[in-house]
Amino acid sequence: MNAVLSPLASLRLTLVGMVLLAIGAALSYGNPMTTSVWVLVVPMAFLAVNLLAAIITNPRINRRGGLLTFHIALLGIVVLAALGRLTHLEAHVELVQDTAFSADELFDDSRGPWHAGDLDKLVFVQGPYTVDYAPGMVRGLTHSEVRVPDGQGGWERRVIGDDRPLVLDGYRFYTSFNKGFAPLLTWMPEQGEPQTGVVHMPAYPLFEFKQDNTWKPPGGPEIKFWLRLETGMTEKAAWVLDGQKAKGTLVVNSGAERVELQPGETVKLPGGQLRYERLSSWMGYKIFYDPTLQWLFVTAVFGVIGMSVHFWRKFGARLPAADTIKTGSYSATSKGVRYE
Amino acid sequence: MNEWNTATELPWLWAGMTSYALATFIVIRGVMHTRGGAAGAAVNRSYETPAFIFILAGVALLAMALAERWMRIGHGPFVNLFELLMSQLFSLGVIYSFAYWRYPAIRASAVVALPLMWILGVWVLMLEPRATPFPPTYFNNWLWAHVGLGKFFLGFCLVGTGLAGALLLRGVPRLQPWFRQLPSDAMVDHLAWRFMLLAFIFHSAMLIAGAVWAQDAWGRYWSWDALETSSFLTWLALGGAIHARLTYRLPMRAGAIFIIVVFIIAFLTYFGTPFYSSAAHKGVI
Repeated sequence: MNAVLSPLASLRLTLVGMVLLAIGAALSYGNPMTTSVWVLVVPMAFLAVNLLAAIITNPRINRRGGLLTFHIALLGIVVLAALGRLTHLEAHVELVQDTAFSADELFDDSRGPWHAGDLDKLVFVQGPYTVDYAPGMVRGLTHSEVRVPDGQGGWERRVIGDDRPLVLDGYRFYTSFNKGFAPLLTWMPEQGEPQTGVVHMPAYPLFEFKQDNTWKPPGGPEIKFWLRLETGMTEKAAWVLDGQKAKGTLVVNSGAERVELQPGETVKLPGGQLRYERLSSWMGYKIFYDPTLQWLFVTAVFGVIGMSVHFWRKFGARLPAADTIKTGSYSATSKGVRYE
Repeated sequence: MNEWNTATELPWLWAGMTSYALATFIVIRGVMHTRGGAAGAAVNRSYETPAFIFILAGVALLAMALAERWMRIGHGPFVNLFELLMSQLFSLGVIYSFAYWRYPAIRASAVVALPLMWILGVWVLMLEPRATPFPPTYFNNWLWAHVGLGKFFLGFCLVGTGLAGALLLRGVPRLQPWFRQLPSDAMVDHLAWRFMLLAFIFHSAMLIAGAVWAQDAWGRYWSWDALETSSFLTWLALGGAIHARLTYRLPMRAGAIFIIVVFIIAFLTYFGTPFYSSAAHKGVI
């Protein structure tokens, strides 16, 4: 078996693989989305085979505990990263305040062919949020409140944001810069049951100048909405975007008629009445799932520990004695350094 | 607003750089002074202590500059090029002064290492000390681990590169006497690679800490953005150089060139990529 594996374990092949991987990484430099993934996958697979063969056959690796740990960890990282891509999920979702997460509302959904997570069973409810802004409209910390089941029939309040994701069954929900407002409306048709829903306005304050959207109620005309907000936004000073404190006047335009509504007010339109219940807000999340994350971390840490152990055993903390180097000698003593 | 007049850290920075400059001058004068000694004779080491004192003074003054800036702008030196260069000058000084103190035999390599630090020194003195807002994704302890480990990496890389540069310069007949204090070429080569191996360990740890931070900050541990790709290429170049040395038993001077190439790639990764890339990793998002 070694006769087969030994050629594959060649250090020269390792160098070839490294050069190919460097070329692949250089090709994807700055534009990973448009470069074929194969420029990285092929050299990595090549190196993984080479590494596996070297671990099995090369006594300079497999008889040195530290070095062996490092190389097994490298192989483990490649395998785990591949598994991670096959089982991963990345997606986005926008949640309106006081509504529960629904897996049906995901967009920009990308998942590996082996993804088997149970996203449908996740339960949490979006609460209010605040976002700090520094002068010059520089975004600061986001505090997004969510409620998750506490396991005893109640709800547990959590505040997440920026680098503090909500983690549920391995799914990690990250707040994003994408957030805004959503007027809560009730459509009362002339015949039939009233319907309540929200109209998502574009992200705020990114599209502060363009807070408009359209909606066509069942049996009614298409309605154009424009939201005039009072949030305290200013470029010159620090301010806090707080959906709870924001006020919004809803401008409703259905054909020739233009009406401004305050929360609680109603307008009669062809086919029914529209009531502006209140101003709500929505928060955009990035969802990330990769079941290998913790294992990747542990494996990588073991790799570094292995390399450190190898370094320590090989070199210790001292300079080598002069006679350990055959092609020259020196001595460094308190009396001075001599060069020969 | 022009911040030249309000940046209270500048006097400390200039004083620190002056101290580094004096250390560089003393080291160069010192090694030049050894050229008259006969082979086998004890060589002049009288310059080493003053040089060491000036390096340490530079480190202390830069620490004051960093503290002053931190108090002025309210956050650590993590965001813009000015503060990144300043903190690197500090950390490189700390690590190099430790190596300088711990391994007396390699002190002549300061002739190469200190001028390399001066590339950063001249650069930082030309930049406006403006403050940049601290991004929300930087409020994370893993950032400290990532940055700290990276500083160890670059520091050990600098020591190794100093030795590699000295090894190459010693091949120039006219400069050979400058490096009489250094041990044999084989020993210098051995030590240089030892420091590069240490750098490799810290670079690996830096990548891990960075991946954990990126997962928290941007919801992905690795996305091949420009800075990640650059740092991976640095890791690969260093790993490849170590393998090449083992596989082909590289001649010492070829190995020294490899080390310098790795340092150049690392230098470009640290001080080039983050400031033209538009990826989130750049910082302010």
